[in-house]
Amino acid sequence: MGLAELFLIAWQGILSNRLRSSLTVLGIVIGIASVITLMGIGEGAKLEAEKQVQALGVNLIYIRPGSIGTSGVSMGQGTAPTLTYEDVLAIKENCPAAEDVAAQYTSSLQIQAGEKNTLTTVVGTDPSFPDIRNFHTAQGRFFTVQEANDSARVCVVGDGVVEDVFSGASAVGKKLLIRGELFTVVGVMEHKGANATGDQDDQVFIPIQTGYSTLFGLNLVSGRAVKSILVQAKAGEDLQAQFQITNLLRLRHNIQSPDGDDFTIRTQMDILQTAQSITGVFALLLGATASISLLVGGIGIMNIMLVSVTERTREIGIRKAIGAKYRDILMQFVFEAIVLSLTGGIFGILLGLGSAYWVGSLGQWTTVVTPSSVVLSFLVSLAIGLFFGIYPARKAALLDPIVALRSE
Amino acid sequence: MASLIDLRSINRVYEMGGESLYALKNLTLSIDTGSYVAIMGTSGSGKSTLMNIVGCLDRPTSGSYSLDGVDILRCSDDQLAEVRNAKIGFVFQQFNLLASMTAIDNVMLPMVYAGVPKVERYNRAVQVLEQVGLGSRLYHRPNQLSGGQQQRVSIARALANKPSILLADEPTGALDSHTAEDTMHLFNELVSHGITVIVVTHDQDTADHARRIVRMRDGEIVDDTVCS
Repeated sequence: MGLAELFLIAWQGILSNRLRSSLTVLGIVIGIASVITLMGIGEGAKLEAEKQVQALGVNLIYIRPGSIGTSGVSMGQGTAPTLTYEDVLAIKENCPAAEDVAAQYTSSLQIQAGEKNTLTTVVGTDPSFPDIRNFHTAQGRFFTVQEANDSARVCVVGDGVVEDVFSGASAVGKKLLIRGELFTVVGVMEHKGANATGDQDDQVFIPIQTGYSTLFGLNLVSGRAVKSILVQAKAGEDLQAQFQITNLLRLRHNIQSPDGDDFTIRTQMDILQTAQSITGVFALLLGATASISLLVGGIGIMNIMLVSVTERTREIGIRKAIGAKYRDILMQFVFEAIVLSLTGGIFGILLGLGSAYWVGSLGQWTTVVTPSSVVLSFLVSLAIGLFFGIYPARKAALLDPIVALRSE
Repeated sequence: MASLIDLRSINRVYEMGGESLYALKNLTLSIDTGSYVAIMGTSGSGKSTLMNIVGCLDRPTSGSYSLDGVDILRCSDDQLAEVRNAKIGFVFQQFNLLASMTAIDNVMLPMVYAGVPKVERYNRAVQVLEQVGLGSRLYHRPNQLSGGQQQRVSIARALANKPSILLADEPTGALDSHTAEDTMHLFNELVSHGITVIVVTHDQDTADHARRIVRMRDGEIVDDTVCS
């Protein structure tokens, strides 16, 4: 018997009980659709994470103070103010693989303009910040090296801050009070959105020197502490830069063994890898959840095929009496299961594409349905039909024709 | 000339609760091409078992069976399916048509399993359906046909692969006497075309149409009469 013939026989079998067949197909439709949708969400999250890491800048190296460790108990990263502005200057001076360096000191402070005030993150940094972070001004300008050296009272605000305290009006040239200190707004940053560390648009940038003299204060022990250091390595030299910075900081901090490092240094590649491994686990979890519903759908097919074999025992007997061989009956029922699951697969793919698009249009999630996930779903539904159909089909094909003919 | 059907020393034993039940006991029977044989007996006489063995649906426990020169005991299940498909046409008491298929689809089914090409299949199905007088009912489903018409569809199906044997199990059991008479006439006609017809029945009127009557009791042949 040819494929077309087998398909026709299977199709007749399916049509002979339409309601039951469509309910069985529905199980696969839901399974495949959820695989497509959830894999789309997982893939979208992966892409989004990669995009965010790319958006941090190019060849970025990120240094944070280390933890205070007391007899093996770590207090967590950043608990000790071990990095100072002198370290920043030393990196700028002594690391040839570092293209540019910017310090960051962040503090949560009250800001006020006119009647409106809010709590926001004030970031003291260097003029090199926009280039390193690939985060530029949309209006006005960033503060200059001159202003930084003069500890000028100028600031650049994020576009979220403009919304909050300037009611969306142009902020350049306006006055802004930061914890009672008067600053002049010289620029507004472009819209950047939120990343893992928070809302990047709800920030105010000031020269770090101005910060030390007015807002942040000096730490008596460590002097001018910084919360993190951003380094842009020269193209293709991130590993050298990392190596040079590590050695320099160990030398400056009198660290003998690598275990005693009081700072952590991460390249953009590290961050990307972390992000990828997290989103990878996320995607895997979503996929696994969806596969369970697919498995349930498959069991549904097996169940209905077993019922169908029992119900159609007499038909099997008749077919055998008039000359159907083992293979003919086996193929008839395997094909029926495959046609059921493939029909479910095709409708599931369509529904999945639709719902992935719908979820994406809600704006919360980015969804990316890759062609490979569609092909995979199709093959999986084929495999489900084969796997869950073969046992009932074998049962049918092995029936004794006399017993089968006698059944009611 | 060797017989078409040649059964020798056939035993069919069922094991039940440690006891051996002989459905057929040392049975020997041969039937020639073109004969019209009725196998008679009460229920439990072994006539159904005999029919299953002659029809290659079942294998004897011991003995030998040669059908048209083929040693049936040496055949695999699939080879038996091939023999049934090519040499034997079944007509069942309950007709056993597939309810979801039209008359012509039912008749084409044995040819599907025989691998007959589509066009030939269709032409032949139309031809046999016309032969049994159902040329105008090709696309009716079994539930749209009367009992007699269903019987004729099942005969057409049995004839589809040009078998040498037509094996009918109580062919008139579900029919009124008039329709039953028609069916027997159809069988007579088939015999005149050279087909061997074997009818298994407990009904004397049905058996009277045959030219040879084999009577069975307790798994053995008790009488074998050739009518004039």
